[in-house]
Amino acid sequence: MAPIRDKFTIHSKAVVCQDVELKGDITIGSGTIVHPKATIFAVAGPIVIGSGCIIEESAIIVNRRKEVMRIGDDNLFEIGSRIESPSIGSFNTFSTRCRVHHTVRISSFCVVGAGCLLVPAEDETLEDYTVIYGANAERRKWSGRGKAQEADLRRKHAEYLREMLPKFNRLRRGEASRE
Amino acid sequence: MAPSVLYHCPCFSRHLVPPPPHLASSSHSFHPLHTLFFCEECDAVRCNRCVSVEVSGYYCPNCLFEVPSASVRAEKNRCARNCFMCPNCRNTLSVVPSDPPDVGDGRIAPISTVGEPPFFLYCSHCRWDSAEVGITFEKPTGLAAQLQKSEDSAPDSLEFERLKEHFDPIIRASSLSSSSSAVPSSAAHSHHLHSTSITAAASAALARDIPGVGRYNPLSRSGRGTGSKDRSANKDEMPDYKSRMDATTASKMGSGGGLPDVEFMRHLENVSDVASLEQRWSYSWATSLQTKDLKPLRIPLHSKRSKRCPACTHILIKPEQKAQSVRYKIKLVAANYLPAISIALPHQVEKFGHASAEAAKRPYGKATVLTDEEKEAMSGLLAGETYPFHVSLTNPLYDPIQVKLSVQRMHVAAPSSDPGTASEKARRPPFVVSLSTTPFSVAAFAEAWEYDEDDDILDDDELEARLSGREKEPKPKTKTVGILEKRANITVVGGEVMLRKEARGNVKFNMLVSYTYRADDAPADMGSPSKSKAPATKTFAFYTVVELGPIIPREETRIDVDT
Ligand SMILES: [Zn+2]
Ligand SMILES: [Zn+2]
Ligand SMILES: [Zn+2]
Ligand SMILES: [Zn+2]
Repeated sequence: MAPIRDKFTIHSKAVVCQDVELKGDITIGSGTIVHPKATIFAVAGPIVIGSGCIIEESAIIVNRRKEVMRIGDDNLFEIGSRIESPSIGSFNTFSTRCRVHHTVRISSFCVVGAGCLLVPAEDETLEDYTVIYGANAERRKWSGRGKAQEADLRRKHAEYLREMLPKFNRLRRGEASRE
Repeated sequence: MAPSVLYHCPCFSRHLVPPPPHLASSSHSFHPLHTLFFCEECDAVRCNRCVSVEVSGYYCPNCLFEVPSASVRAEKNRCARNCFMCPNCRNTLSVVPSDPPDVGDGRIAPISTVGEPPFFLYCSHCRWDSAEVGITFEKPTGLAAQLQKSEDSAPDSLEFERLKEHFDPIIRASSLSSSSSAVPSSAAHSHHLHSTSITAAASAALARDIPGVGRYNPLSRSGRGTGSKDRSANKDEMPDYKSRMDATTASKMGSGGGLPDVEFMRHLENVSDVASLEQRWSYSWATSLQTKDLKPLRIPLHSKRSKRCPACTHILIKPEQKAQSVRYKIKLVAANYLPAISIALPHQVEKFGHASAEAAKRPYGKATVLTDEEKEAMSGLLAGETYPFHVSLTNPLYDPIQVKLSVQRMHVAAPSSDPGTASEKARRPPFVVSLSTTPFSVAAFAEAWEYDEDDDILDDDELEARLSGREKEPKPKTKTVGILEKRANITVVGGEVMLRKEARGNVKFNMLVSYTYRADDAPADMGSPSKSKAPATKTFAFYTVVELGPIIPREETRIDVDT
């Protein structure tokens, strides 16, 4: 296997803390926040993260496949989550310490509950609004009611972090230009 | 399973000696220390099986509202404020407003802080919401009252109300007469030696005649016909009850059962469409089989209870009235009186430490299953081997105590049920425990301990050794039986267990613990287990059962222990 070439493309409005582990070809979109101690690891193919995502402490995002791992907008990766999905839509929540295998593709508005393990042997795609919850990773469909409010909350959350994180952390490449 | 120690509560049994550990009744009379109480008045251990329990207050576990006992019945034991449980996953539901109407251009409209009606209940865990079952609210307050209407109009609820109405006059009339007549007859029932006013009241209530139900008298009456005179007299008093609707058609009204359910199950495509037993379990009324019919549940109330000694009726534990408080007004728990005992098998400790570290590396979920098996395999003791074990005693008293341990002799009462060949060998106890019976002291409990030097602070040599990576041998192996260690209010004594070659079953034995402590100006001793030796000291003795683990028989390999 060829050595991994590092190539980071970070949008000027993204907030990526200095103390994160980035490896491989990574693109981070506008307004996305990467907390310190998070890991983004493009082992094989590149990772492209959209805008407005929040990647919390000790979250791990890995791309084991050759093709590009595309992560949409406004996703939340909570503390200690480990995500290897080859593609992720928008407005998904990956709760604390959940784990999603590289066999699962995620659509949009999905929730993987705290501590849930999603490791199917065969490839599958989580449809929009799928909720995984509980110790046995049970599934159900969310009606989607309240999604506008949740999206609003997600944006406010990101807005707050964009303001506060740079006050206490050094940022990668010092690129987070603030008007 | 790690080695365990349980404490004996005699529960008024005339035998203060507990049953032998291999009998099934053994597990009934032993309890973990933290569940036991101690009555100072009787100088005796009390357990949850023998104490008498009183409810001292009801409250909602979610909003912590204290519900007056008068309204508990009216509100059907559930919170009548804004507390609901998710019918899907049991999480608490929250009231949320609706999303603002879609502007159309894909942008999200600004969210007002007041919130848009209609409001609905929402589960943040599984994302169930009450709009799925057609329940929405115009305003976010007084939800239970808003739901009350639909709850009250349910056929089961109406039927129940009707039944109550039907029986009410009869019960009221009889409570006057029976209160005078039933009590003397119930006095005969109080064969219980330790009966008190509370138990007497309870047994009187149980023995009271129920109008319309024939008097229960198992001895004098054998056949059905003979009781007819009594029964007919009661029948006349009670009018016939007519149900609101025909029970045979009830299944069509959504109460469950019958053809509709069969039809539903026949066309089932998704298992999750059927409400699991767990989901239907906490409903007050019979519910439909279908997941889509599950309704939000008002949260069941909890109660705070106080417990009394059954012999002297002194309070053993009494919580503070306020629902928010987790403190107790009175708390006489056995852990404050009896030394805490824990058992360890030193040969397992190293392995266990290793195993739990391995388990931590595994992904969440699968870990528990595997380690249970592994622990099972590791906690086994090989037949024919001798193992040392450590008994550590922690003194909860502010005075030092003298402790004497003695292992109860195992008389394996000739297992007549065992067939021929094995019985000869089984007659002998499968293992022999050697534990010193010499009394030893356990230092007093003190609020704060200075750190022992060898505990936390490394001396220079050791520090040097650790830094250079060559750690000193932890301890030169000296002895396994006798006192091994004394620190703070803990004393560790060692014992040994020798397993016979043909041993089977569990290494489990009864151990009598007696300890002598300084009695602070105690009056003449009362209660059975204590005897005063000298004027200044008292001795208390109690039994424990010690379980070291399963025996792995000789013939089998270590792997298949699950037989
Ligand atoms: Zn008891
Ligand atoms: Zn409540
Ligand atoms: Zn739920
Ligand atoms: Zn008592």
